Amino acid sequence: MNRIRVRPGRRTRLGAAVTAIALALGGCGLGSGENPGAASGPAELSGELKGTITFQTLQLKPTFTDYINGVIARFEEAHPGTEINWVDIPFQGAQEKLTTDATAGTLPDVVNLNPNFAQPLEQKKLFLDLAKVAGDVKDDYVPGAWDAFKVPGADGAYGFPWYLTSEVTMYNADLFAKAGLDRDKPPTTVQELEQYAVKLAAAGRGQFYGLHPALENSFVTTLAKLGVPLLNEQGTKWTFNTPEAVRYVEQLKALYDAKAVPADSLTQDHSKEIEAYQAGKIALFPSGPNFLTIVKENAPKVAAVTKVGPQITGPGGTPNMSVMGLLVPAASKYQKLAVEFAKFITNAENQLAFAKIVTILPSTTASLKDPYFTDTSDGSVESQARKISAEQIAKARNLVPLQFDDRVKKVVIGKVQLAMQGKLSAKDALDQAVDESNQILANNG
Amino acid sequence: MTGRRWYTPWLFLAPALLIAATFSIGPFANTAVLAFTNAKALGGGHFTGLANFIRMGQDDTFWLAMGNTALYVVVCVPLLVTLPLLLALLVQRQVPGIGFFRAVFYSPVVASMVVVGLVWTWLLQSDGLVNWVLQSLQVISGPLPFLTDAQLLLFSAMFVTVWKGLGYYMVVYLAALANVPAELHEAAALDGAGEVRRFWSITVPTIRSTMLLVGILSVIASAKVFAEIYVMSNGSGGPGGQSQSLVFRIRDVGLGLAGETGYASAMSLVLFICTVGFSIIFFRMSRER
Repeated sequence: MNRIRVRPGRRTRLGAAVTAIALALGGCGLGSGENPGAASGPAELSGELKGTITFQTLQLKPTFTDYINGVIARFEEAHPGTEINWVDIPFQGAQEKLTTDATAGTLPDVVNLNPNFAQPLEQKKLFLDLAKVAGDVKDDYVPGAWDAFKVPGADGAYGFPWYLTSEVTMYNADLFAKAGLDRDKPPTTVQELEQYAVKLAAAGRGQFYGLHPALENSFVTTLAKLGVPLLNEQGTKWTFNTPEAVRYVEQLKALYDAKAVPADSLTQDHSKEIEAYQAGKIALFPSGPNFLTIVKENAPKVAAVTKVGPQITGPGGTPNMSVMGLLVPAASKYQKLAVEFAKFITNAENQLAFAKIVTILPSTTASLKDPYFTDTSDGSVESQARKISAEQIAKARNLVPLQFDDRVKKVVIGKVQLAMQGKLSAKDALDQAVDESNQILANNG
Repeated sequence: MTGRRWYTPWLFLAPALLIAATFSIGPFANTAVLAFTNAKALGGGHFTGLANFIRMGQDDTFWLAMGNTALYVVVCVPLLVTLPLLLALLVQRQVPGIGFFRAVFYSPVVASMVVVGLVWTWLLQSDGLVNWVLQSLQVISGPLPFLTDAQLLLFSAMFVTVWKGLGYYMVVYLAALANVPAELHEAAALDGAGEVRRFWSITVPTIRSTMLLVGILSVIASAKVFAEIYVMSNGSGGPGGQSQSLVFRIRDVGLGLAGETGYASAMSLVLFICTVGFSIIFFRMSRER
């Protein structure tokens, strides 16, 4: 048998190389399609109070498995013929899954989202307008929380508020003492926070600092607290390039120049802030009181010297709150059951039970009146945090505009980082941030 | 051999072709189509002709990412073609214990890029080992901002790419070097050729096709750089996103609930064309030598 050696021609080899590159880069392709789930809210709910629905939560397994299963069991018992299929997805990658589900028209019947995740889906009219179909329970919820699921410039509200967190100021009292600060007097205003940061960093001499800026988490809320108008009234244009905002960015630059914050913190986010606090490298940690549990688990020595104070606020005194909600897609075949279940899981009784196993707050006004939220007799830092955050929730609002999505956030924070490095003036940074954010807003619309 | 049915080879190829068609060729074709639409992550999209490409031309961030990617290719590819070859020549020698060094040089290849990125982040941070050593030796007076200066971050990421790729390409070169005829070296040595002369006149011409392969592979790898920059910048792409690569930009634009799939696809197509272009240039350069 003769062997035939096939020598590929130049074109063949070139073609093969191009194909190989196409295959290697194939992963860059992105899918898209029409929006089969889109529908406007119906006047009446479809389906009966029986059947099987899917309930999707964000990162609650395994810590709260028993609680959620318990609530589901009680609901199924009270409503024979119903079955709730609970699925839990991690926070990481949740946006991608939601995008895929929304595009394919396969969103779960009850879906747990925060307002920023919900906003683009609400704009597509994918969810039931609960102001229409469940307006009877509206007054059960904290007003600021109910409003968090409204679409700017449009009627209706699309989510049952579920659990809330309202930031408290956790601080390392030992580091306070080392800096000659009163162990029982944390900063309460933005201005005081900066003064404390400078004193703490001076005492720390590189070993510890006052705070970690975690700009992606704190910048826009701080602007709101300082009274800077973030958007115009219609919610169609960003407007945060005001003299007040310029002053704040200049103050941030001054902190960075004075080495009052860790050098690498410029591009780091909230997760690194937690790490730094647990490592005893920063003294102040403004965050949700639910993080007390995490600090206790990971850094018991730091937790032992951790104290809490109220949320840092600006002249207006309005604190920020973070909201989680439950939404029902308009495309659900079991709207009646889904709405009933969402009402049930967010009712005062079930939310109070939830708040008793983790340091979160219920969004129902009735549960917040429970003595549990005012009782600090056990002397624990958790009960103090609970009391503080419950007190401030009544006047708190979700200060982060729904339009502040990941892409706007990246542009704004990027410009602030350049201003802190001195590569842009504070004014130019904010002007550019507003321009580019408005372009994103226009492209989204 | 007779009686061979025409479809027999296709049957053998079918599983691989099916996987490639589903997960590579199909998405690639989809990307090419979407590039000419205004598709969003949440559906929709109409044919918009060259609008995405015109927008790209006016998009400063796209050009920043493009420039960073081009710099990445220009710096990393020559290093990834030459350094592993030198390393392979070093560990090719049969001396006791050399297997250990081969394994050590190869070990970064096995580690995930995220892990490698995190390790180098710790080493390069302001209070990390590298700054500590440099300060202890009084080479520098204060810590260098390896992770917060846009240029330094980009070069740090390049260093990690090269460091991680060394072992892989070293093994490729070792296989090629094993095929260099020993008689040629012996004959040249008898004629008085030194090591350097033998390297240029015997080794390099013999392994030229392998160098071409390494060159093209490293062009593709460098053009696609993402993980190093993402991990070392904590997902920020450097201060103000100044160190972002093109893939980083594509991800930012295309992903998420507000993702602009059409525009991101157009950028993907440009990346593809540029990568093919770089590879052809490399191909031509190698042939002309």
